[in-house]
Amino acid sequence: MTRFLARRLLTTLVSLVLASVVVFGAVLAVPGDPAAVILGMNAAPEALAAVREQLGLDVPAPRRYLRWLGGVLRGDLGESIQYQRPVARLIGDRLGVSVPLTLAAALLATLLAVPVGIASALKRGTAWDPLLVLASQVGAAVPSFWLGLLLILVFAVGLGWLPSGGFPGWDVSVIRSLRALVLPVLALGLGQAAVMTRMTRAAMLDVLSQDFVRTARAKGLARRSVVGKHALRNALVTLVTVLGLTLVNVFVGAIVIEQVFSLPGIGRLALTAIGNRDYPLVQGVVLLYASAIVLMSFLVDLSYGWLDPRIRYA
Amino acid sequence: MTRPQRWLIAALSATLLLGSTVAQDPAPVRGGTVTVAISADPPGWDPTLSTSQEIARVTYGNVYEGLVRFDRDGAIVPALATAWQVSSDGLAWTFTLREGVRFHDGSPLTVDDVLAKFERARDPDSGHVNAGYYAAVVDVRAPDERTIVFELDTPSRSLLYNLARPDAIIYPQAVAETQRSQPVGTGPFVFARYVEGSEVRLERFDGYWNPELPYLDGATFRIIGDANARVAALQAGDVDYIGAAIPPEQVRVLQANPALKVASGTATAEITVAMNNARAPFDDPRVRQAISHAIDKDVIVQGAFFGLGTVIGTHMSPSEAYYVDLTGTYPYDPERARALLADAGHADGLTFDFELPEPYAIERRTGEIIAQQLREVGIDVNLSVVEWGTWIQRIFLAADYDMTIIGHSEPRDINIYANPNYYYQYDNPRVAELLAQAEAAPTAEAETAAYQEIARVIAEDAVNVWVFSPANTVAVRADVYGFWVDQPTPALDLTQVYRAP
Repeated sequence: MTRFLARRLLTTLVSLVLASVVVFGAVLAVPGDPAAVILGMNAAPEALAAVREQLGLDVPAPRRYLRWLGGVLRGDLGESIQYQRPVARLIGDRLGVSVPLTLAAALLATLLAVPVGIASALKRGTAWDPLLVLASQVGAAVPSFWLGLLLILVFAVGLGWLPSGGFPGWDVSVIRSLRALVLPVLALGLGQAAVMTRMTRAAMLDVLSQDFVRTARAKGLARRSVVGKHALRNALVTLVTVLGLTLVNVFVGAIVIEQVFSLPGIGRLALTAIGNRDYPLVQGVVLLYASAIVLMSFLVDLSYGWLDPRIRYA
Repeated sequence: MTRPQRWLIAALSATLLLGSTVAQDPAPVRGGTVTVAISADPPGWDPTLSTSQEIARVTYGNVYEGLVRFDRDGAIVPALATAWQVSSDGLAWTFTLREGVRFHDGSPLTVDDVLAKFERARDPDSGHVNAGYYAAVVDVRAPDERTIVFELDTPSRSLLYNLARPDAIIYPQAVAETQRSQPVGTGPFVFARYVEGSEVRLERFDGYWNPELPYLDGATFRIIGDANARVAALQAGDVDYIGAAIPPEQVRVLQANPALKVASGTATAEITVAMNNARAPFDDPRVRQAISHAIDKDVIVQGAFFGLGTVIGTHMSPSEAYYVDLTGTYPYDPERARALLADAGHADGLTFDFELPEPYAIERRTGEIIAQQLREVGIDVNLSVVEWGTWIQRIFLAADYDMTIIGHSEPRDINIYANPNYYYQYDNPRVAELLAQAEAAPTAEAETAAYQEIARVIAEDAVNVWVFSPANTVAVRADVYGFWVDQPTPALDLTQVYRAP
């Protein structure tokens, strides 16, 4: 297990370093000039040059990268051009919205998808199965921003039950903050649940058709025991992969949902930073996304080893 | 005219303005708050360091004030200066500072704050935007505790206008560095709290120099990036006031809602089809004229924007004091367009690139219709959409393009036609001459005449095609009064806003 862990950790670190190079390079490759964004269309060239110097943009790119990487290793992501605050603190503030949103949406998706997916697999051949398949197909096809707008029109504009967007902040009111997250969680979680249902159904069908399940049934085990102990345990490896993917999808999908519901999360921060060519902030946020994805696949890998000992030695 | 008399007239006209409001609206009520929608976090809140319009929308007239300011009709009225006069040679402007003004931090407004501000504004290395506005100023001095004198080397009538702009505001010299994150001004509202990506809260300033104002106890500016989400927030009652950028197709929906009031006024933008005048085929005036004749501006405004705009014929929006209607210069006439093209040797057709800026929906939609209209006279454009950073870098700064379209939203910016290096690449020394005449004009009438002549010269030269000036549509809850409808400058001035049942 130790060797397995060490090997996985090393791959993770290499991925992160590569990601940092790609992040920095991508930001460089995007045309545009933060000084021009700040000073507007009628800025004088001298003023542009002065602002560029203030921002440290007159330093050559490789040196800027090393300086940035050195900072990252010391835990210093630099300072945002737009907000004039440390990037790490800005990201920290926004995680207070994005993390609860992501986790709640993933939880909602899992709670809906796993039972429905299993039920759908077990009800195969009955009238329920095509209905559930159709529902999940529609759910997966609906774009989350459209679902978000629809939820706003029904529950905020029409019924007036919930706010149409915005976020009061945990320090201002926990109840109002929770209410502000209800519609975004639904918009983000429902679409994901649909995708996850289909994957769960497929995984269960796959396991149920295998020989050991037939054997278990043949030796007279209770149906509950066949599904719960034998089939589900074996479908878990696939399900954990799906769950990892879901968490990543939801975290990234939150970019759109945060925009629709005007939530001050990481996604909105990323969009604002890109629009303003706030290089340090873009780098910090994209690095966060890359790290989240790499970390997620690391955790999923680890859980494989735990769920299925055969994988550790592969 | 002596100073007190000038002030009297300004005070009278302010009373008249208030009077005309009272005639239709209920009497102002003290108290209450409003929630206003804005569309983005700006790069800091200091209007002297960035031209972002979101800064002006939140701070202009609310948090910050300059020596003079625009009122809701675009007239220049007293703010921190109570009176001003210009010497007969036009080389000295004298302002009298208002007495008893305090900043939000409690410190008094002094001539030193004003001197420090304009020293920074005139220094191109300070990062202050638009240092060029003060190019004619050679010295700013304070002969006494209440008097500021601007000394010029050439007359500049636009100085007063520039002093009313959002970047001409004055803040305490001692806290100049922290204005980006913590604005401190003299306006009727204190900048109380900013939650990045979420909202800005303003609170009534009890020490405001005009004890009658403001009416509101406070205001919240909610940052809502998506235009449809802003409209939904207004309909849901989470927002009381949207003062800019309402999508035209949403206006009718809002008009049908009895809980809301919708009004349309003028704004400063000119949607401009810019042509590279130095590059073939646009270096031939007949081609530019033909393109002007080929575009049916009425169809665009009526068909694609529900009539929410004014068709224009030069680089001038109806919000300008010296507006002149030149739409008749090259009217829609496809026959004439074809004849001119044939005359210029393009009888078999013409092909060039037409690039649309990605972030701007109005421009993209207009550009697509224009491409179709040009096809009807035998011009086949290669339509493409370019990312904003690329637009700024290659098209705007490097002038490497054939044709593009953009809304020029700066007010009073016809002076850009005097710059041969501007991305239009239009070189006509007559414009610079006329501009100098306008600056040195002895009277306001002469100044207006000179500006209108510039408008006429560029229209006749068909430098660009000026399509229309989009209307500014405002939507508020029915109990909100006193808001700006026209936008002579980008602002959501809440000084005289109140809520009455």
